[in-house]
Amino acid sequence: MEDNELKVLWASYNEKVDKSLQISQKLLDNSSDLRVKTLLNSMKPTKIALVIVGLVWVFFIDSLVIDTFGEASLFFTISAGLQSVISKIAIGVYIYQLVLINQIDLTQPLVSTQEKLSTLKATSLGIARVLFLQLPLWSTFYLHDALFVRENLLWLGFQLTITADLTWLAVWLFFNIKYENRHKKWFKWLFDGKDWTPVIQSMEVLAELKEFKKN
Amino acid sequence: MEKEVQNKIFEEILSEHRGVFFKIAKTYCKDETDRQDLLQEMMINVWQALPRYKSDFKLSTWLYRICLNVAISSYRKNAAVPLHIPIEDDDNQTIVEHQEGDKQQHLQMLEKFIDELKDLDKALMLLYLEDKSHSEIAEILGISPSNVSTKVLRIKEKLKQRFSKLDK
Repeated sequence: MEDNELKVLWASYNEKVDKSLQISQKLLDNSSDLRVKTLLNSMKPTKIALVIVGLVWVFFIDSLVIDTFGEASLFFTISAGLQSVISKIAIGVYIYQLVLINQIDLTQPLVSTQEKLSTLKATSLGIARVLFLQLPLWSTFYLHDALFVRENLLWLGFQLTITADLTWLAVWLFFNIKYENRHKKWFKWLFDGKDWTPVIQSMEVLAELKEFKKN
Repeated sequence: MEKEVQNKIFEEILSEHRGVFFKIAKTYCKDETDRQDLLQEMMINVWQALPRYKSDFKLSTWLYRICLNVAISSYRKNAAVPLHIPIEDDDNQTIVEHQEGDKQQHLQMLEKFIDELKDLDKALMLLYLEDKSHSEIAEILGISPSNVSTKVLRIKEKLKQRFSKLDK
């Protein structure tokens, strides 16, 4: 099939579009009532809310660490301190996402705009990876010196197992939550649902974009 | 830009270039309800971007960029929607009935072929079929004109193979 034939064929496809134009005329007539809700607009409030909640949380933790410094157990200070550092990293990524949202200009070429949009969504998976690192800290913040006595040996064994398991899990998730593992069962189970689907798809698009830019 | 002026230009764009909106919406979205949403989102984005429009830019290039960017993002959002609607769709039935057998088959094949393309290849093919020059396609997509030529050739080659199989 030659170029011209192909374009003639496409023109006949357009006839079908013309048909649907009539159906959708109503939409044009009501153009002044368009609801102002776009993809980017809908993303912003959630990110801003998460940054605010995150900052309140970090402020609370930091105040607690500072106020109890020297008095609370070292386990608490270190656990809460690390928890605060990890939360700050996550907040940093959310702020980066907000910057990206503000930078996205849909009037710019497709490749660069889609790259920004996909990076924006894909970084959400990075936040999840970082936040999983907090897991073992939830099993250590309540420990204190008085618990480390011979009478508590059995309990300490149990405690050690839990902390070790959570540490292993957190580190394993940190290194294994990646695009290449998207088809694995555990990955699908962990990132199932409508909130995560666009994130995974955006990673696919990033791979596509890389390919598309090649000659 | 004053709102009244903005509305006026917007109405002009809609009446002169409305085909762009609908062709892109139809190419990227097969479900009627989702298509209406996509159309609205494209229109909102065009309306919002209007004050930033610079006349040294070709209007169609500017318009295609916005609409395709929105369509690709929204399409991904609705990826669960089946990619291809059979030609027996109510919407299409009347027209299909009037088309000759071969042409209908080819059209069905072309539609299916475009449906199966990746998002960006789909945009490339759409612009090519709309008779845009390679340099304008390059400007819309943000790749070099030589890259456009290579990709168009590759896609056309695949399409020809499909058609030759059909004709056998």
